[in-house]
Amino acid sequence: MSTNHIVENLKKEIEGFSAQIKAEKIGKVLEVFDGIAKVSGLSDVKSSEMVTFSGGETGVVLNLEEDAIGVIILEDFSNIKEGDEVKATGRILQIPVSDNILGRVVNALGVPVDGKGAIKADRAYPIEKVAPGVVTRQGVDKPMATGLKVIDAIIPIGRGQRELIIGDRQTGKTAIAIDTILNQKGQEMICVYVSIGQKDSKLRKIEARLEEGGAMKYTVIVSAGASEPAPLSYIAPYAGVSIAEYFMDQGKDVLVIYDDLSKHAVAYREISLLLRRPPGREAYPGDVFYLHSRLLERACRRNEKYGGGSITALPIIETQAGDISAYIPTNVISITDGQIFLETDLFYKGIRPAVNVGFSVSRVGSAAQIKAMKKVAGTLKLDLAQFRELEAFAQFGSDLDENTKRQLERGKRAVEVLKQKQYSPQKFEKQIVTLYALTKGYMDDVPVEKIKEFEEKLADYAERNAKKFFKEILEQQMWTDAGEAELKKTIEEFKKNFK
Amino acid sequence: MTVISNNNIAEAIYLAGKEKSHTEQPVFFKNVVEFLARKKLLSKAPDILARLDKIINDDEGKIVAKVSSVEKMNEATKKEITHSLKERYGSKTVILEENLNEKLIGGYKIEVNDEVIDLSVKNRMKQLQEFLTTTG
Repeated sequence: MSTNHIVENLKKEIEGFSAQIKAEKIGKVLEVFDGIAKVSGLSDVKSSEMVTFSGGETGVVLNLEEDAIGVIILEDFSNIKEGDEVKATGRILQIPVSDNILGRVVNALGVPVDGKGAIKADRAYPIEKVAPGVVTRQGVDKPMATGLKVIDAIIPIGRGQRELIIGDRQTGKTAIAIDTILNQKGQEMICVYVSIGQKDSKLRKIEARLEEGGAMKYTVIVSAGASEPAPLSYIAPYAGVSIAEYFMDQGKDVLVIYDDLSKHAVAYREISLLLRRPPGREAYPGDVFYLHSRLLERACRRNEKYGGGSITALPIIETQAGDISAYIPTNVISITDGQIFLETDLFYKGIRPAVNVGFSVSRVGSAAQIKAMKKVAGTLKLDLAQFRELEAFAQFGSDLDENTKRQLERGKRAVEVLKQKQYSPQKFEKQIVTLYALTKGYMDDVPVEKIKEFEEKLADYAERNAKKFFKEILEQQMWTDAGEAELKKTIEEFKKNFK
Repeated sequence: MTVISNNNIAEAIYLAGKEKSHTEQPVFFKNVVEFLARKKLLSKAPDILARLDKIINDDEGKIVAKVSSVEKMNEATKKEITHSLKERYGSKTVILEENLNEKLIGGYKIEVNDEVIDLSVKNRMKQLQEFLTTTG
């Protein structure tokens, strides 16, 4: 392109421009501190409206007082001075969205931070939006496979559900979330991973892991790191769900992971205290429940008439020393449709994922489980519950009757089967084969230490030899007597050769 | 508990002093100052006075417009600005406070209360910049 050409183009562009004359509302900065600005004037400003400072920084109005407003500054605030002009935009805070955002890492304002250049935006989505109403919704009845046997079998999650992952630090909360994202390959699911107050090194590791697993193609990472100011951590989950809504509006199924909401609550507490809102329990402000409920309520499954699509939410909460009765954990437990409870003890016993099956529930999940899985996993939870009870009891006595012994042996094998390595999600057809072999007693005579090997080899063998059964499960998600007979035969054949 | 703001105090002073005759006024003002001193509000007096000013202006249909320009304005422009402001805000009198600001490059910038009408060249260039970077 010649210089003349560029100049011509530029001329044309400039001709198409007409300066707009309009009266703007302007306020003055009274004071700035810790990412918060008190601004006078701006009498017509709305709550959570976006304002811009004279240096181009954006802020969001949170407090409306009689003669000043409290603004949280979303960018570097070191250049904002007392007396600076503040312009109201008349818009609620928005973030740019487009299909090009897939595979990218963006900050809470939708600006890419992965060094791969700008993202061309199609539209802008408001960060705060009222959750879809009752008439637009539909019951949750489609499974969202996590690829983890213990979850898919016992605590199944449906598309549109909100399932809390809760546990102490270092119990594998993020691992469950990442495995779930990895397992969505080929499931027509878009994933949004919102990282709130995490170390940048951890985020980088997650991104590399997702890239390696080919999962970044359908994933967006929204990052508000530990080094960024609290206002960004505060808006990050809302930005994440706005991106999810953009995809849901195209009729797609979306999975959003908030990692983690305890840090989000802490960031909001920080902002609230700086805005001089009165502190309540654990110094959190009075509306900390609404903070999370309005976020998680935006997860939904919409019916076909209103465009379909769904948003499944997996919020994560970190507890302190297993205390699930603290303020934020109880709040979020009551908002969500169930929780996956992870325990340090189990983790160190080598039971990973360290899910405590007794404390974990899924309140809508079983409706979303496929029939075949329901059939094989039905007795599993009971088996495990009985096992735990007997285990404590059996430590004292040595003389146990046959039945008790059998239950104990079965329980040990069930625990072994439910263990799963990180980053190795399993397709549900294979899970069904394994769980069928377990619950029908085919594993009872296999030594516990050989269970893992048995499981792996059996799943591969069955995939090769029980083709009809696999086809039925995969295509029609049906469980027929003929299929079961074939599976039975295959397992028996396999057992003959297994040493 | 409701906090009494400077605005409330200014309003109260205005309402109390409105009906006072010329002879009563010195006594009234003395009372106001004593009241402020008693309530330890003297440090807030400048703010209260500014608000009082605004309340009086609002009540009398008077607006104060700050007009910034690069060069001194001629009478015709002043008249035009006064006229259009009168129409826009429906006020009886317009007081123009002029000041010079070279940073505007050209044109005018009018500020009335917390509203700004920016007709400066600087603002237009900024708009052009935004236009070219967002649509290009």
